[in-house]
Amino acid sequence: MPSGRFNPFETLLLTSRSQADTAGLMLLAWVMACSGPLDAAQRKRLTELARECRHGHEIEPIFALADRQDFDAIQLAAEVMQKDRGGEQAYPFMRQAIALSITSGEPSITQHHVLRFLADLLGVIPSSFATLYAEQAGKPYAVPDDPSRRDYWLAREHERQQQEARQQEQAARRRAQEAQARQKEEIRRERERREQQARERDRQRQERARHEKTQQEKARQERAREERRREQARQERWHQERGSAGQNRHRERPPTNDARAHRALAVLGLPPGASRGEIRKAYRRLAQTHHPDRFFAEGEARMAAASQRFQRVKNAYDYLMRAS
Amino acid sequence: MRDLYQRLELQGDASDHDIQRAIEACDHSALKADARVVLGNADRREEYDALLGTVRDIGLLRARLGLTHGPFWQDSTANDFSLPPDNTGARHDLLIARVERAVSLHNRWRRWRAPWLFAALLLGAAAIGAALCHLWLS
Repeated sequence: MPSGRFNPFETLLLTSRSQADTAGLMLLAWVMACSGPLDAAQRKRLTELARECRHGHEIEPIFALADRQDFDAIQLAAEVMQKDRGGEQAYPFMRQAIALSITSGEPSITQHHVLRFLADLLGVIPSSFATLYAEQAGKPYAVPDDPSRRDYWLAREHERQQQEARQQEQAARRRAQEAQARQKEEIRRERERREQQARERDRQRQERARHEKTQQEKARQERAREERRREQARQERWHQERGSAGQNRHRERPPTNDARAHRALAVLGLPPGASRGEIRKAYRRLAQTHHPDRFFAEGEARMAAASQRFQRVKNAYDYLMRAS
Repeated sequence: MRDLYQRLELQGDASDHDIQRAIEACDHSALKADARVVLGNADRREEYDALLGTVRDIGLLRARLGLTHGPFWQDSTANDFSLPPDNTGARHDLLIARVERAVSLHNRWRRWRAPWLFAALLLGAAAIGAALCHLWLS
């Protein structure tokens, strides 16, 4: 005679609207929890699945049973499923079980064994199971590895080493890229610094040129002023001389071969004792050569220098004309 | 998947020393090498034991549900983890039996108008108690 209280899963089944749905949820929770306690994402996924079922009760007790791998509950759920969901009816359930087992990649070996048990339980033959698996996982079903064999662990060790090597390689590549980026940044900064220096030098050069230009302008203006002043003085002197010459023209006549006449003739490029005709010809030639209008296009400085030369030629000619 | 403990004639909670001794005593060189790699390392043994627990549970479930000859239960796994059918009945039958008992109790209770019976018993007990008190005091 059975005795004792109803255990939690029995109570769930008795209060469920659909015992097969409740049992199915229990087995799906087992598929997920057989590799470790259910995490938040897995619970959320199961809760979403439970909404589509007709079990009509809280799902938390199923989580608790799955977390502690309650053998009696799993056996009872398996019996209910075997009784109610055999053959073709099992396919939707098997699809869900496979989908849950591949949520985090490849199913674990434990999940493989559980899935194979469920397939046998519900009468899903291997070829149908392989088709269902390929539909859900997108790749063919492979027989689970055997951790009781040395080869399995050696392969895992090898894979781990390869993974570490890949990670190290990636880290090295990342470091190299970072170093390269740093080097580029250095080069860019250096270039910017050089360009800044070049700009600074240009600016200083322009500043110096502007300063020199200002100085030259000042000097030119100073020279022009000096020139005007000297010209003025010369004019004054000439007027004075002319006045005194007028007065003394009949009283004393300077000799044509005096030193000043020599200098004047030298200015005109003539030997001492040149005639008035030669003097006039030489004057015209030099006046044409040194006339300031000829140097108008070559700047004020050249024009001022030409003007000075022209004035010397003119003064010499005037003197010689007056003296002769 | 093989049960290395069973093949080495060890208990599941055997100490490292016992395991080493069993490995040394083993005549099967391939099994010896496998057991040394799997059980000789604490992390590997822990992982293997966890899987072993689940596969043993599956073996027991298969024995109780009549699935010891399924197409997915072959080779070394079936050899090492198949169990003889035990006497434990199906859980579902047990549940049905419990429910039947609960139902029969409930029905009996209702059939015998148990609430009235309970009140009558209570009154009877009170009357007997009063009579005993009277006798004791007189």
